[in-house]
Amino acid sequence: MEKNIDAAVGMTRKWDAREAGREVARDTIQQLKAPPSFFLLFSTIHYEKNGGFEELLKGVWDVLPKETPLVGGTVVGFMNNYGCFTRGASALAVSYPNMDVVIGYGKNTKRSPKKAVNQCSDMIKKGLSKSTYKNKFLLNLVSGPEVPSIPGIGRTKIIRSGALSKFAIPAFGISQSLFQKGLGREDEIFEDLVNKLSDYHMILGTTIDDYKGVSNYQFLNENVLTNSIVNLAISTDLNLNVKTTHGMKKTDIRFEITKLSKNKHIIHEINNKPALNELYKLLNWPEDFLNEKTMANTILYYPISLKRNEREVPAVMTFILKDSILVPCVIDKDEVSILTVSGNNLVKAVQENLNYFENLDSEFGIISSCVTILLTLGNNMYKVREHVMKYFKNKPFLMFWCAGEGTYSPEKNITYANMSFNTAVIGRCR
Amino acid sequence: MGYIYKDVVDKYSIGDGTKMRDDPIATVLDDLLKLDDILACMVARQNMISVMPTAGTDGFKTEIHEIWDIIHRAMDDVFNVIREYSQTGLAEMEFRLQDYEVLFYVFHETDNALVSIIPALSNKGLIEVEMENARREIQNILNEQEKEKLEIV
Repeated sequence: MEKNIDAAVGMTRKWDAREAGREVARDTIQQLKAPPSFFLLFSTIHYEKNGGFEELLKGVWDVLPKETPLVGGTVVGFMNNYGCFTRGASALAVSYPNMDVVIGYGKNTKRSPKKAVNQCSDMIKKGLSKSTYKNKFLLNLVSGPEVPSIPGIGRTKIIRSGALSKFAIPAFGISQSLFQKGLGREDEIFEDLVNKLSDYHMILGTTIDDYKGVSNYQFLNENVLTNSIVNLAISTDLNLNVKTTHGMKKTDIRFEITKLSKNKHIIHEINNKPALNELYKLLNWPEDFLNEKTMANTILYYPISLKRNEREVPAVMTFILKDSILVPCVIDKDEVSILTVSGNNLVKAVQENLNYFENLDSEFGIISSCVTILLTLGNNMYKVREHVMKYFKNKPFLMFWCAGEGTYSPEKNITYANMSFNTAVIGRCR
Repeated sequence: MGYIYKDVVDKYSIGDGTKMRDDPIATVLDDLLKLDDILACMVARQNMISVMPTAGTDGFKTEIHEIWDIIHRAMDDVFNVIREYSQTGLAEMEFRLQDYEVLFYVFHETDNALVSIIPALSNKGLIEVEMENARREIQNILNEQEKEKLEIV
């Protein structure tokens, strides 16, 4: 027999962390008729300076029934049934009897991602071992990238010349392993998690600040974590599905990656020439075109279509280290295309994404989307929201903007893509 | 339609941008100004800053003080364009001056705009979302004021 499901989205715009925690919890919970089966919490980084995230969580727990599984983290911003916001906090809570819920976590993701995944997946397997429901969903939140601070330079996405440039690549490696400042490695974590929990539909998102890459936090019950993975796993009789779309188009500009770093993150050579100068030639950009100023307004809009285990991986070029280009995910040597992206195509990608769920009556939705889309569309994000609202109608949804996202389904395998929309819809088949 | 909005904004305006007690528009501006990358913000039209944040120009981030006079003059020139085209759908304008950008979010079919000054290297997309939210909030306040005014009439 079908049971009633109750789902709600709440939010706060208060500045004080404790008050904001209380308000977001109260606003969400008061819409439910029964205690929540889980509580998702996303917050912008602003509470770091306005009381701290421990206070935010204390505020939430002033209101939230004890023992409610809670996961979440900091994000660039969020879209929900009330609007688009890059300041505040939003929560999604669901109350449903035919649902087993378990949370998992693992630490030191930037240094030892495998170990973190092992710990997390063991918790989930154990926690849901007795569940009899056949549909399984997992929200995978991973600590996102942090830009290392280099003595004498500070935080920068481009190191082109000077004495320090010689040491930029080794320094980046040391920063990653020793200080856990560097790439999020969410793609590696996601791949590993899929190998261990291959019967789940998954959605991946990263925690991040306001895209300055200084700090980010993960929430797990009463705890505020850093450099961790936090997962929410659900086993239920509800139907569910996931989908990734990105709207990027291939151009005729192609090149071959001929030399990659050992960790498969840094492109040293393309077409057998130093990577950056060859990229300048291919794009008809003047030499030394890229600097901190121009990078923000150009390179994000020239993503490249990379390959990983024969999968297409659209990615942005995030760091320039001397003559090399650093990409946010592990890639293979292969032929690469430059991609283009436009605001219109991004909006179409949302429509395409939501059309995929036309056979599913949504009860609630979770969407992870790339911060670069937010940077591209700005306040036009409200146009995206019109489409999302049209699909979800009065059902609650929560989209969060992050820096590293994807989906996995047992039918379609992994889709990891920068500049993408990743939707998970949980509901009932029409 | 436009003149009613103008009247409503004028009601808030006291010419030199000095604060008004319990001004709901100033409260919206106060919230916006708390964001690190908003160096200054106001509701303005040509030759007139209609509403300032509660602390007035003292609330602006200190780095803006040096360049405020030149930005203020340039703003007035932009308002020429806004006045000319706001009735035909001009919704947003911006310009970059030295290391700063000035964003104008025009109120529907008026020559008034929400104005923010931000660093040129800021993550503008994030700011644009909050600018839009502030514009909508202020627009709602103006609409309420207009409704009250019509009821009195």
